[in-house]
Amino acid sequence: MSEWVKVASAGDVAEGEINAYLAGNRTVAVANVDGDLQAFDDTCTHQGCSLSEGELDGTIVECPCHGGRYDVMTGEVVGGPPPEPVDVFDVVEEDGELRIRTRDDD
Amino acid sequence: MDVVVVGGGLAGASAIGTLRAEGFDGRLTLIGDESVPPYERPPLSKEYLRGEATEPQWVRPAEWYQENDVELRLGLRADRVVADERAVLLADGSSVPFDRLLVATGVRNRRFEVPGIDLEGVFDIRFLPDADRVRQTALGASRAVIVGAGFIGCEVAASFRQMGLEVTVVEFFETPLFRVIGADLGVAVEALHRDRGVGFVFGDAVERFEGAGRFEAVVTKGGRRIEGDLAVVGVGTKADPPLGLGDRNGGIPVNPMLETRTEGVFAAGDIADHAHPVFGQIRVEHYDNAIKMGETAARNMLGAEIVFDDPHWFWSDQYDSQIQMAGYATEWDDMVVRGSIEDRTFSAFLLKDGVLRSTFSMDRKFDVRRSMPLITAQARPARALLADPEFDLRQLHPAKGAS
Repeated sequence: MSEWVKVASAGDVAEGEINAYLAGNRTVAVANVDGDLQAFDDTCTHQGCSLSEGELDGTIVECPCHGGRYDVMTGEVVGGPPPEPVDVFDVVEEDGELRIRTRDDD
Repeated sequence: MDVVVVGGGLAGASAIGTLRAEGFDGRLTLIGDESVPPYERPPLSKEYLRGEATEPQWVRPAEWYQENDVELRLGLRADRVVADERAVLLADGSSVPFDRLLVATGVRNRRFEVPGIDLEGVFDIRFLPDADRVRQTALGASRAVIVGAGFIGCEVAASFRQMGLEVTVVEFFETPLFRVIGADLGVAVEALHRDRGVGFVFGDAVERFEGAGRFEAVVTKGGRRIEGDLAVVGVGTKADPPLGLGDRNGGIPVNPMLETRTEGVFAAGDIADHAHPVFGQIRVEHYDNAIKMGETAARNMLGAEIVFDDPHWFWSDQYDSQIQMAGYATEWDDMVVRGSIEDRTFSAFLLKDGVLRSTFSMDRKFDVRRSMPLITAQARPARALLADPEFDLRQLHPAKGAS
């Protein structure tokens, strides 16, 4: 089981924004959807662009390169070219820290 | 219910994915005239052409089709739709019955009717084997001539420069992308390429390709002779034969919900001549449009009644610059620029009678996408807000659900 990793201070992700953090050896995007944080793999499964560079509209993130769309709550593809969903991760704000827990060991 | 998709390109592939994702569990057949499963065409003038990607960008992994119970019938051309019999006739004489049909057969490159077009070393690019042939030839070449400074011509020019070839582009109009964006913006694209060493010949046209057995030079109507080891032609497209469903544009006319005049028969992608609720009757040949039309056609085949009102987004990667555009404007009476055309970091908003019709950008990541709801809504944004690089266009978006 992976450990919780501190990646930033609490409050680092403003509402409607997405930041990317290195957690272990994965780049994880954290989106703030109406005050709730959602963490997911930052790398688009289509051609590897950074999803945190894209646009967040409600719970949908749109890849800036070729328009792939994912639901950040589940990681599922909801439109566009991505062939696979992205992984989602646990994220919390505790003791003034923003922490992420990746689920796999790769 | 039997659903048949004719056309193994992006629109068809997108539709079958959506059909299964939406829970359609009936028989699903994809008929394509290429011998390989659906792949993406944009890399054929970019990463794949340059050899940076050695595999095609497959739309779906090979095992997906079996896992999702899609019958792939490849290397087969459809001939005609027989509406009365609810069947598609194939070129080999067989017939495939359907309850719902999607035609997504795409377009072909227009044949460039000049002497010497069939010389060895003169190419165009649409299909995978085309890109393979061009790459093979370019690898042993030092000079290339490109005919046409549209998107394909510009992208191939950029790729060839990145591969180390000398490149000369012959273009009838006065700038690249002239018919899409006009001269004021075309100069920025020209400068991008000139900085990378591309030579341009504007206001001239090819009279013939010359060579003893294989291509040696382009001779122009203006009397120039431009030598090269290969030539690539990108002079536009024509719709594929539309299976008896055709119209004036060579496309297949569809209503706002992408259904043809024949009930249960839909068309999507490049071949769909769409009654667009904002732009009017229009046929577009963009990647994103093919995906989104495929998605919408799939849902409508299953009984949804979704009007397709997407404002047509596309991108073009040239060197390390990303061009984006959305909307449709054949004419505009006002253009507002945000950023600097000279620095090639800008967005240009094209307006007609105050209504935002189209947005074009170079290396401004968000403006085009954020302007799309405004284009669909036929909004009249204030010039000062459009011009302000700090202003977030999302503040002007129509309220959700109140369209």
